[in-house]
Amino acid sequence: MADFLSAYTIQRWLELCPQGYLADTVDGHGPDEIEPDILLTDDDMRTDAIRTTVQLVAGERAALAASSGLINSAPDLGSKTFLATQTLDEARHVEIFTQRLYDLGVKPADLESTIDHFVNPHLVKFAGVLLDKVNSGDFIAGVVGQNIVLEGMAFSVFEMLEAGSRELNPKFAHTLRGTIADERRHVGFGENTIGALIRQHPEKKPEIEDMQREMAYHMLMTFSSSFAEGDSALEKNRQTIGEQGPADYHGTNLSTASSEDMQAVLANTVVGEFETRLARIGLEYQPPVGV
Amino acid sequence: MTDDIFDPHDLHPDDFLEEVHSFEFWFQSVDGYLSDRPHGRLAASNDVPIEGAGREALITTLCNYCVGETAALEGAGGMISIAPNRHSKIFLATQVVDEARHLEVFLYRLRELGVVDTEAEIARRANPNLLRFKDRLLELVRTADWAGALFAQNVVLETMEAIAFDAHAQVADPITAQILDGVIKDERRHLGFGENDLGRLLQDDPDTRVRLGAIRQELDALVLAAFDGALADTGSVREDQPTLGRDYLATIDRLGLV
Repeated sequence: MADFLSAYTIQRWLELCPQGYLADTVDGHGPDEIEPDILLTDDDMRTDAIRTTVQLVAGERAALAASSGLINSAPDLGSKTFLATQTLDEARHVEIFTQRLYDLGVKPADLESTIDHFVNPHLVKFAGVLLDKVNSGDFIAGVVGQNIVLEGMAFSVFEMLEAGSRELNPKFAHTLRGTIADERRHVGFGENTIGALIRQHPEKKPEIEDMQREMAYHMLMTFSSSFAEGDSALEKNRQTIGEQGPADYHGTNLSTASSEDMQAVLANTVVGEFETRLARIGLEYQPPVGV
Repeated sequence: MTDDIFDPHDLHPDDFLEEVHSFEFWFQSVDGYLSDRPHGRLAASNDVPIEGAGREALITTLCNYCVGETAALEGAGGMISIAPNRHSKIFLATQVVDEARHLEVFLYRLRELGVVDTEAEIARRANPNLLRFKDRLLELVRTADWAGALFAQNVVLETMEAIAFDAHAQVADPITAQILDGVIKDERRHLGFGENDLGRLLQDDPDTRVRLGAIRQELDALVLAAFDGALADTGSVREDQPTLGRDYLATIDRLGLV
C-alpha cells in the first residue's frame, strides 16, 4: 500500500491542486467570471439554481464531515495524510458552493435557513447513513460510503451540471471542473485502499452492501424529486441552452431531453459507475428496493 | 495615488472571520513559503552528513515530532465535526492539511536519515508523556468538548510545538532548520485561531475558564515531562530544557486565557 500512497502525498496534492489547476482562480473560477444575468433576474431560474446549489453544499458538508471523521480510524499514516488533503478539498467545495449561493443573492444571515428550506430530505438521510458508519469508527464501510458511493454520485452529478453549464454559465462550469478533478482523485484512493482491506475482511461485505443499498435508495429518490422540483425552470433552461448550442451528457442532449430522460441518464450513469467501481474492490452493486 | 492594500482587519467582524478562515486565505498564506520548497526545504539545499549520536538524537526528536503532529492531525480532524460554525470547520480543514504536511516532511526527513520502517521507529521511540497527551486530547474531541479540545490542541499543543521547534531550529542542521521554519509559520496561524476563538468564547463564560484551568494543570505536567524526556535525547538542546519549560509556561500565561 505504501507505493500506491506515494501518489497521494501532501506534496503532490500541493503541486496538482492549489499550485496546479486552482492557480489563478478565485473561489474555483476565473476572477472575471460571473453568474449570467438570466440566473439573477429570472425568479424561476434563480430559485432552481439556488435549489441545485443547496444540494451541492449539503453533499459537500457530508463529505467534509466524513473525510475528517475517517482520519482517526485510518490504519496508517499515508492514509491519514491523503484523508487530510481530501478534508481540505471538501472544505473548499463547501466554501465555493456557499459562495455561489451568495453570488445568487442569498444573504449570509439567511444561509442556514435557505439550506434547510431547499435541501432534499433524502439527501440528508443519504448523508446520515454514511456518517453513522464514520462516527462508529468503521473505516472500511466509511471509505466505501464516502469515496465510492458519495464521490461516485458527486462525480457524475458534477459532470452533468458541467455539461449543462458550459455554454450557459462558464463560471459555474469552471468551478465544477475543479471539483471534478478533486473527486477523481478521491475515488481513486477509495478503490486502491479498500480493495485490499476488503480482501482481508470478507466478513464485512454484507454490512457494507446493506449500507450501499440504503445510500443508493436515498440517492435515486433525491434524483427523482430534484428533477420533479426543477421542472418549471427546465423549459427556460433548455431554451437558453438550445439557443447557445447542444449540451451532450453521455449521449443525451441536455438541451432537448425531457426531465425524465435527464433523470434516467444520470441515474444510469451513476449506477454504472457504482457497478464498475464496486466490482474493482470485490463487491457487487446492490440495487435498492422500491425505487 | 494611494496603494489599495487589502487588510482583512478593515472588514466587519463576521466578514473578517469568513475571510481569514477560508481556503483562499490559507492558500495565499502558505503559498509564499511553500511554493518553491518541496518537502519543506529549498530545492537547491545541500544536506550535511549526520552520523553517530547526532543522527540517533535527531531520529528520536523527529519521531517525537511525528507523534505530536499525528496527535494534531487526528485532533484537528476530529474537531471539525464538533466545531460550532462553518468558519471554524473550514479553518480546521486547512489546519488538518498543515498538520499532515508537517507529518509528511518529518517522515521524509526520517527516511533521508536512513529510517526504513518509520511507523515502527516512531512507536519504538515515542515519549510516553506525549502519547498520554495525545490520548487526553482525543478524549476531549470524542466527548465533543469544543472549548477543551481547542485549548488542548490549538493553545497547549501548538505552543509546546512552537517553542520546541523554535529552539531546535536555532541549532539544527540546515535542512532540518528550513523544515522547522515552515512548520513554525503554520503553528503561529493555528495558535492565533485558538487564542482568538477561545478569547471570544471565554468573555462571558467564567465556568468554562475554570474548567480549562483544570485541563491546563493536567496538560502542563505532561508537556513539561515531555520536554524533560524526549528532548533529553537531543544533546544540542539539553541545556535549554529548563528554558523551554519556562518559555512554554510564560507563553500560556501571557495568552491570559486561564
